[in-house]
Amino acid sequence: MNPRCRWTPLLLFGLGLVAAAFLASPAGAWLLHPVTPVARDVRALFYKAVAITAFFFILAEGILLVAVLRFRARPGVPPAKWHENVRLELVWTAIPALAMVILSGPAFTTEKYMETIPKSDVQIEVVGHQWFWEYRYPQYGVIFANEPLVIPVGKTVAANVTSIDVVHSWFVPDFGIKMDANPGRINHVWFNVERTGTYQGQCAELCGVLHAQMFITVNVVTPEEFDRWIEQKKKGV
Amino acid sequence: MEAGTIAARPISTHETAPAHPKARTGILKWLLTTDHKLIGVMYIWLAFFFFAVAGIFAMVMRAQLSAPGLHVVAPEVYNQIMSLHGTFMVFFFTIPIMAGIANYVVPIQIGARDMAFPRLNAVSFWLLIPAGLFMLVSLFLKSGSAAAGWTSYPPLTSRQFSPGAGMDLWILGLHLAGASSILGGINFVVTVLNLRAPGMSMLKMPMFCWNVIITQTIILFATPVLAGALTMLLTDRMFGTAFFQAQAGGDPVLWQHLFWFYSHPAVYIMVLPGMGMVSQILPAFSGKHLFGYKGMVLATAGIGFIGYMVWGHHMFATGMSPGLRQFFSFASMVIAVPTGIKIWSWLATIWGGSIRFKTPMLFALGFIALFIIGGITGVWLALVPFDVQVHDTYFVVAHLHYVLFGGSLMSIMAGIYYWFPKMSGKLYNEVAGKVHFWLTFIGMNLTFMPMHLMGMLGMPRRIYTYRPEFAGLNHIASLGAAILGLGMLIFALNMLLSLWRGRPSPPDPWAHEDQNRTLEWTVSSPPPPENFHTIPVMR
Repeated sequence: MNPRCRWTPLLLFGLGLVAAAFLASPAGAWLLHPVTPVARDVRALFYKAVAITAFFFILAEGILLVAVLRFRARPGVPPAKWHENVRLELVWTAIPALAMVILSGPAFTTEKYMETIPKSDVQIEVVGHQWFWEYRYPQYGVIFANEPLVIPVGKTVAANVTSIDVVHSWFVPDFGIKMDANPGRINHVWFNVERTGTYQGQCAELCGVLHAQMFITVNVVTPEEFDRWIEQKKKGV
Repeated sequence: MEAGTIAARPISTHETAPAHPKARTGILKWLLTTDHKLIGVMYIWLAFFFFAVAGIFAMVMRAQLSAPGLHVVAPEVYNQIMSLHGTFMVFFFTIPIMAGIANYVVPIQIGARDMAFPRLNAVSFWLLIPAGLFMLVSLFLKSGSAAAGWTSYPPLTSRQFSPGAGMDLWILGLHLAGASSILGGINFVVTVLNLRAPGMSMLKMPMFCWNVIITQTIILFATPVLAGALTMLLTDRMFGTAFFQAQAGGDPVLWQHLFWFYSHPAVYIMVLPGMGMVSQILPAFSGKHLFGYKGMVLATAGIGFIGYMVWGHHMFATGMSPGLRQFFSFASMVIAVPTGIKIWSWLATIWGGSIRFKTPMLFALGFIALFIIGGITGVWLALVPFDVQVHDTYFVVAHLHYVLFGGSLMSIMAGIYYWFPKMSGKLYNEVAGKVHFWLTFIGMNLTFMPMHLMGMLGMPRRIYTYRPEFAGLNHIASLGAAILGLGMLIFALNMLLSLWRGRPSPPDPWAHEDQNRTLEWTVSSPPPPENFHTIPVMR
């Protein structure tokens, strides 16, 4: 049997399954719908990385596939004798190196944007516990735990992240944010959510038996709703 | 260079026989041996035992994750088998089996009668038995085994949060495995530097030997750091020190630096020997010389060197200082260049060749196809903003399995099929081998390709259950795992039946026209004790 006939259906089957999986995946994920400027920049960087590396991926897998199909042993066709070509080796060292330098440009720009915290409108403190999150709003004197975080839309929020017991990680995919909550350290992140709604996340660092149940829910509301909510919370305390 | 002189003296095995009693049979032959071939084979058996255990753990995990909200195992049990799956696959399968194959093959390939320190070689192997037993026994403790992942980040692993003895047994087991690695490292480096046959200069060595000596050098420099970190963790737990305890002035992030200073180079410890095997197998089955031998040596050394400077990319979300993140990010991208050199050189090796699709060759080609994917997602992960997005999600699980399953395991399988006739003196069943390859290749992609998407959609790793929106992708991954399991059963049956009833193998079952073959194929299968009647002289 011709090897081409044997491999093609398998390849198509695999590709089809992967494509089906991709189409069946839920909308609302960061990859499709980023809701902060940082998440949007991360997606743009991801597309650039895909564009640059796709060239090498297709080239390498393509050569492999063609070689496998073309150079099957046949009687009377001896293998080639060459096994050195310094010029070729220099080319395949220099071009990927150049690609890496090019790719590091947007990566470093986005990184700097992520980690430079702008002047914030709302400051919050995020404290990890086994196995729930505690949120504090020092401006308003509000503290609560095990409830959704509420923040106003279109405002810059600065979060100080730490932990009371083991290492946790505060991760909201749609915001482009993941920050470890280390005991004894305070880490800083910021985000500015552009659309109201409810966003899901969960702890991303193994923190014990119920790690899988350490969810994060963020309700992003209009500034008016936020003010009403914070007033109620103040009274509640 | 006394050892070199001895090895060069042309003596027959018959003359040396009295000094090396060979008459032992039965169990004593194995228990008391210092023969590198027997020790190599024992390494391989032990590694496959742990591969089976860790593989069953993987199947249980995929069963638990095949749908959201299942109760195949309890959460605490899931965390234990997840932790031991990683620990066993890394420290008790991949690293020992690479050591086992190298133990068998390297002395013959360089034309030596044995390793430089045969008794030390036996010590390296036998240390692994108590090491593995500590881990296995901990599974039966009431308080359970270690359950903090193979990375064991404190404070989760401190006495306060993991009070059980399982954690202490994990630390002790890993300590012994590390000691075994270090002793093996010394042995391999001394062997390759001193026991090469006359005329075999370093640049005439088979590529596999180069990869082994570079790997063993990495082990020598990196493993003591792991040993130090483990000791600190143990004294934190046992004697109340506070290296990693924030409340007493320590820092949990210090563990992460020390752990990854070892465990990133460990990725190269696990993959470089496999790359060496592939560099032997591709020329053997395409009828050509390895392309760009010197470039390959330089690239391997480059990976070994730069591999020490990239550990921080495991820690981009810890709140590391910005300048440090940029350094680790760029170094991690740079390591793609020597890795690329190897991939291009393998492609140039098969290009224009006359390819015979035997099972070892299929696994070697599968290795290239999958390792390219792992390499490319590795470049993405070097970009700090993208890494932070997918760090500690299933994207990383997908990436690391494309490197360690697609890379290490595929090359191990290639090596095992390639040298099985040499080690056992029997031929395996080629059809079953090919079926094993295709089930592995398809099952591997079905299992791990969807995990990239799970991670990008925000599914964290190391969770025993997940939100319903990830269900579709997890169904596919679990189906893939079942196919993988079936493939491995066929592999086990093929190997065991072939050992029992396989047809005898000639000295070189892969012989083909006038190829330049490495030394192990010039002696009988299996090779005689002490390998060579007269030490070969290389031109």
